[in-house]
Amino acid sequence: MNHRAPDAIVGNGAFAPAASGRAGAVHIHRVSVAFARLLVVDDISLGVDQGEFVSIVGPSGCGKTTLLNVAAGLLPADVIRGTYLVGGKAPESGNRDVAYMLARDALCPWRTALENAELGAEIRGVAPGERRQRALELLDKVGLRGFEDAYPKALSQGMRQRVALARTFSLDSPILLMDEPFGALDAQTKLQLEDVLLSLWQRERRTVVFVTHDLSEAVSMSDRVVVMSARPGRIIADVRITLGRPRSVRALQKDLAYHELYSRVWTKLEEGLSP
Amino acid sequence: MTVRTTTWTTPQLWAGRATILVVFFLLWEQAAATRFIDPILIGRPSGIASYLWQEIFVTGSLIKDLGWTMLGTILAFLLGSVSGVLVGMVFVTRPTVEALLSPILMALNAMPRIALAPLFLIWFGLGIGSKIAIGFSLAFFIVLSSTVAGGRGVNPDHITLARTLGASDTQTFRKFVLPSAVPVIFNGLRLGLIFALLGVVGGEIIASEHGLGQTLTVLAASFKTSGVFAVIILLALIGVCITWSMTWLENHLLRWR
Repeated sequence: MNHRAPDAIVGNGAFAPAASGRAGAVHIHRVSVAFARLLVVDDISLGVDQGEFVSIVGPSGCGKTTLLNVAAGLLPADVIRGTYLVGGKAPESGNRDVAYMLARDALCPWRTALENAELGAEIRGVAPGERRQRALELLDKVGLRGFEDAYPKALSQGMRQRVALARTFSLDSPILLMDEPFGALDAQTKLQLEDVLLSLWQRERRTVVFVTHDLSEAVSMSDRVVVMSARPGRIIADVRITLGRPRSVRALQKDLAYHELYSRVWTKLEEGLSP
Repeated sequence: MTVRTTTWTTPQLWAGRATILVVFFLLWEQAAATRFIDPILIGRPSGIASYLWQEIFVTGSLIKDLGWTMLGTILAFLLGSVSGVLVGMVFVTRPTVEALLSPILMALNAMPRIALAPLFLIWFGLGIGSKIAIGFSLAFFIVLSSTVAGGRGVNPDHITLARTLGASDTQTFRKFVLPSAVPVIFNGLRLGLIFALLGVVGGEIIASEHGLGQTLTVLAASFKTSGVFAVIILLALIGVCITWSMTWLENHLLRWR
């Protein structure tokens, strides 16, 4: 067997049964994913604790999005081997414990910002008054006060992604799965939205699994950064980010400890890329 | 090359258009009056005007015929568009039904509808029924195909979002598929209304008791060319009104675009 043990610097990359039963925890044990003989994810074990912010980084095609799609129940069960538990349950699409945020904003152009922010809760059957209240509050938190009645066509890319953040956080799911949500944004807007995400997360401390190929984004926001190798994806490092909380992503840009951690993770990533 | 845009204001443009039409009608009148071209062939603008005045304000017969044609068009359009949208939605949500029926409907649609008109006349008589049938048979297929195209055009991200949210099939349809199909369906409705008018007038020309198409044939058969032009102008105005009102409705309902 060619399974390499994950090079865990710190962290609980290995089997962590104690955490697996909790509502907000994600527990992945020896999971492989193969599409028609193409092995995408190779024997991965990873535990994400309740309230933890974990980023998964790796080169394109390393299977990080696949790993997330498994958690969201978007893949058929027959391509997955191993034990995968999301909030103590097998992955299932529509699991109320999970809120998923896509790389593209996926806003409905026929709905206003407010109606878009409400959409998730609306589909999950939250009462109209309650979901509107929550959506208004979140639009305010993401900095869109005054834009409640604007249609997406009138909003910039960054503002649209703010609405998508509000839609995601207006769900009461303890686990947030995010697939490169800021990948399409310019550098400035990205920093702003990372801080918005952190401030939302710091209020509620939900579990976040954040997939990105942007290392600085991963290091600046996370509690742990998991580094994956090129396909078939394996975990080659699991680095605890020892920066304090609450953090400001923009302030971290000039922080020495941040840059040191960044270079440590970068070294790991490079090792994984070299054959 | 730079892209040039007009520097004329809207009132200037309208004044320009009116001038072109006035000059055109004056030349036409002159050509007919001097018998440069035989008025039997081209009628006369003054004859068109006096015919319209006579038949609209004095006898009112043109208004009555217009009423019949519009009634037929609206009924054909309503029946055709409602059933076109419904069948289209069934096709979008039930691919098996579409796979089964689509080739048959395509063959039906390929038939020249005007060739079916005599059959519709036998079935539904000389009255408005046969006209509605022809208009319906045109409008239905146009609305159907635009509905299917619209339903197919749903953003895959919306479907992913719907799945992760645990949306039921009904919710996915009502909240994502249907609203995203509406703009495309609207294009079909606009065309469907024009084609309903075409079918009704065509049916009236072939055989009818009332309507602008019937008036047209009677006038043409007795070489009242000015009257023929008057009816044609009226039909053109109806067409423009239909397009404008659909555009207005579209802008009103689809403000988000």
